[in-house]
Amino acid sequence: MSDAPGSASTVARAVINKYPDIESKPLDGNKVELIVPREKIREVVTMLDEEISDALPESMFGVDLTENKYELIYIFWSHEGKMLIQLRVQLEGETPEIESVCDIFPGLEWHERETHEMFGINFMHHPDLRPLLLPDELVGKFPMRKSFETDRSRMDETGLAAPRPRPKPGGESS
Amino acid sequence: MSPDILDEASEIWFGPQHVSAHGWATKLTLVGDYIVECDPNAGYFHRSAEKCLEFRNFRQGSMILERICMMEAFLAEYPYIAAVEKIVDLEVPERAKIMRTIMLEFNRIHSLQFWWGQFAGELGLFAMLLWPWVDREYTLDAFETLTGSRHTISYETPGGVKYDFTPTFLSKMEIALSRVKERMPVFEDMLAGSPTFRLRTEGVGHYTLKQALKWGLSGPNVKACGLPMDLRKDDPDPNLAYDMIDWEVPTIHNENHPGECDAFDRLLQRFKEIETSLDIIDKLLPLLPEGPIVDPKARAKANRLPEGEGYGRVEGTRGVTTVWLKTMEKAQTPWRAKIRGPCFASYYSLKHIVPGARFADFPAIFGSLDPYPGWWDR
Amino acid sequence: MVGSLGGYEMQFDFFTWFGGLWDWIWGILLWFWGIIKWLVIWILDIINGIWALAAVPENFMFLFRAVVMPGLIFLLLALIFTVWFTRKIWARVQDRRGPTHLGKYGGYQLFADAVKLMAKETIIPDKAKRWMYRILPSLLLIIVLIPFAFIPWDPYWNIMGPPGQAFGDLSVSLVLIFALLTAVPVFSLLIGWVTGSKYSLIGGFRSANNQFASEIPMVISSVGPAMLAGSLSMYSIVAAQTSIWYIVLLPINFATFLVASIASVGTFPFDAPVADSEIIFGWRTELSGIYFTVVYFAEFAEQMLYSAIMVALFFGGFNGLPFLPGIVNFLIKWLVVYFIFTVVTSSFYRLRQDQIVHLCWKYLLPLSILNVVLVMFAIVYIPGLLPLVIGG
Repeated sequence: MSDAPGSASTVARAVINKYPDIESKPLDGNKVELIVPREKIREVVTMLDEEISDALPESMFGVDLTENKYELIYIFWSHEGKMLIQLRVQLEGETPEIESVCDIFPGLEWHERETHEMFGINFMHHPDLRPLLLPDELVGKFPMRKSFETDRSRMDETGLAAPRPRPKPGGESS
Repeated sequence: MSPDILDEASEIWFGPQHVSAHGWATKLTLVGDYIVECDPNAGYFHRSAEKCLEFRNFRQGSMILERICMMEAFLAEYPYIAAVEKIVDLEVPERAKIMRTIMLEFNRIHSLQFWWGQFAGELGLFAMLLWPWVDREYTLDAFETLTGSRHTISYETPGGVKYDFTPTFLSKMEIALSRVKERMPVFEDMLAGSPTFRLRTEGVGHYTLKQALKWGLSGPNVKACGLPMDLRKDDPDPNLAYDMIDWEVPTIHNENHPGECDAFDRLLQRFKEIETSLDIIDKLLPLLPEGPIVDPKARAKANRLPEGEGYGRVEGTRGVTTVWLKTMEKAQTPWRAKIRGPCFASYYSLKHIVPGARFADFPAIFGSLDPYPGWWDR
Repeated sequence: MVGSLGGYEMQFDFFTWFGGLWDWIWGILLWFWGIIKWLVIWILDIINGIWALAAVPENFMFLFRAVVMPGLIFLLLALIFTVWFTRKIWARVQDRRGPTHLGKYGGYQLFADAVKLMAKETIIPDKAKRWMYRILPSLLLIIVLIPFAFIPWDPYWNIMGPPGQAFGDLSVSLVLIFALLTAVPVFSLLIGWVTGSKYSLIGGFRSANNQFASEIPMVISSVGPAMLAGSLSMYSIVAAQTSIWYIVLLPINFATFLVASIASVGTFPFDAPVADSEIIFGWRTELSGIYFTVVYFAEFAEQMLYSAIMVALFFGGFNGLPFLPGIVNFLIKWLVVYFIFTVVTSSFYRLRQDQIVHLCWKYLLPLSILNVVLVMFAIVYIPGLLPLVIGG
């Protein structure tokens, strides 16, 4: 269990040595990004927990690249080594699945809940996958996906009356 | 409802309609006077800020950020601006760097004054709710002189700042800061020196440093355990002026329980934070050079951004506040904006900290962690 | 016509019969009139009787004193003044001004608040027991107002005179006051119970807990002045303080009584039963409209009562400057004591319920017992004390 007071690249090298099919990309400063395949996420996170003694699970969120492709980004920060590790996982499918890491880092529990309800990504073995932020009407609709329109095409869902027709440019009202 | 309610567990909603719950609700399971389970509920304040940011351009986006937490409006909008500047690789003029840093620290002082009042008021002394808030009036007066508005200031812009320091503003800032300095000993006496306050906060809501880091806590909640984890020193932003001066990260060391902190330690920690902020402002004001406050060419670059990802971070009043932006080529709006608020972790950690405490300790615990629903609901 | 049916001669004369019918109706009317006359005479007899009783000067003066001055009307006016006074003091302690808009210094604010509160809709929660919910707040106010009858405001203008005379003070009026005040937390518990909401129930239980903690030290602290005066009657205790006020001799006793009475009222810092940051408003949460007004006034009336008891027990009551009437002395001292009471209560954070119990049982109770023991030894062993304290 080496406490790397050096650079993020040391840690990245250690991870890649153990799991060769991970690519890494250095970012500016003492930051590195690792592109992790879906099945290896738990092992990589466990290894980060061992390598970095005071890892702070800063953030975890999803990105919707359209055509049913998603990315999950995990960000860890260490004060001791002043390094930032960003993990990127590519997911595909209508409801993609991935294993949950919240028993290693409890701080990610709510991040996973939020990503589940906003994007529809299922986290296996998560202790509590209730919706966190959404009101009841939007549960299951996965609002942060790009396919969730927020324009007037969903007007009838709201139950509000249709808006007054706007006056046309040129002065005539319709 | 019978007397043996004291032996069975009963659920009670510390709910949205409650004097101390400002926009959140927690389900507590009580046995007698002790809380055995705590289930924090979020979502009462959710305004889908992240989705809204996908439809606003890069100068409008920061205005959504500042409305997420209005007490620390400068500190809230900065990560967005920093992320935009990272994608385009903008350099900010020197004067703007120092002005930004001064206003960030001034805002930190204001946010902590608000917190003092709220924490002391929740513990029952209404006078200590109002005394710090009187000082806040002077601070908000200074903000209004600078930007025209007390809370929703929209001061920063990609490439610099929008409003210059005028002599009126400098004199008002001087008045506000001198009032803070004068009243610090009074508040220390009324808070840290009051025996009833110590009775209510000592030994309440404690956790170890290791647990705090695992839960994602940062900022004063972690510094009170003794670890000087501060983004201003660890990862200094090139567009701010923290590395131009010499200053120390405020931490407290408690000999009774090293590596742990309770509510009283977090109070002492926040006193030190205010002292540090006052120190930084004092050291930066003489260094303010003449010059432009924004570079128009740089600012014009922020209209259409190239493809990229930027991660802007700032040490907010409550911890690490970040915005992650992803843009597509020649886009006017971001493809994805993720806002990470520090209170997301502190509200979650209530689930682990609270069980075992008495019901009357609950306001003391969450008050000392400084929760603000805007940050976890967005 | 003289009818004949079947051969019999009927003596039926219609006009005779008609005349008789009229007599019959007239008789019934006279009978009703007799009853009404009897009723009026009976009522007049009762009024005569009461007037005969009240016209006796002592009785009339007693009624006057009990209702007007220093009785009910005076109390209500004093209550209104007290609430205004308290709000202004709280405001100044908190660095603001208090009510300023209505009246010259905000004096009419309380009338406006009372009118507004009474005009609000009284919402009774679904799970509450309706009739108990309606009766209990008013009972609370009545129980708090009754002990004012025993407070010796003045040697002559008093509801109860010196013991032994007609309408004299009871020889145990101090004990009676505390007996009545013991009922107050019971009402808080009951209101919290019948409201049917969990927060109110918690508040009610905390209020009962408060009673266990604070009433005992308070009652024991009041024994000190009673022992020095040699009597348990409030009037006698005050009348005995002509040479020296008991606070000079018993300062610690005053301190314990002050703290115990703050805990007994349930105001800050001992207001865990109505902690508004934890249990919204405790047992008062669901009260609205007229019930809330009554309970609001009851709280201030209780504070007034404790201040008045402290003036009577420790500060000499109506003894003071000889050229002022007794009641003016009493009121001046009462204003000072009430000011101290309010400023002390608004300077501390709220204690947790178990901390209140610890404080009262571990510190107040031993101190008050120690006080009683010291007074006992002082009376027996210090010569010259007894004539000093049992005054003229």
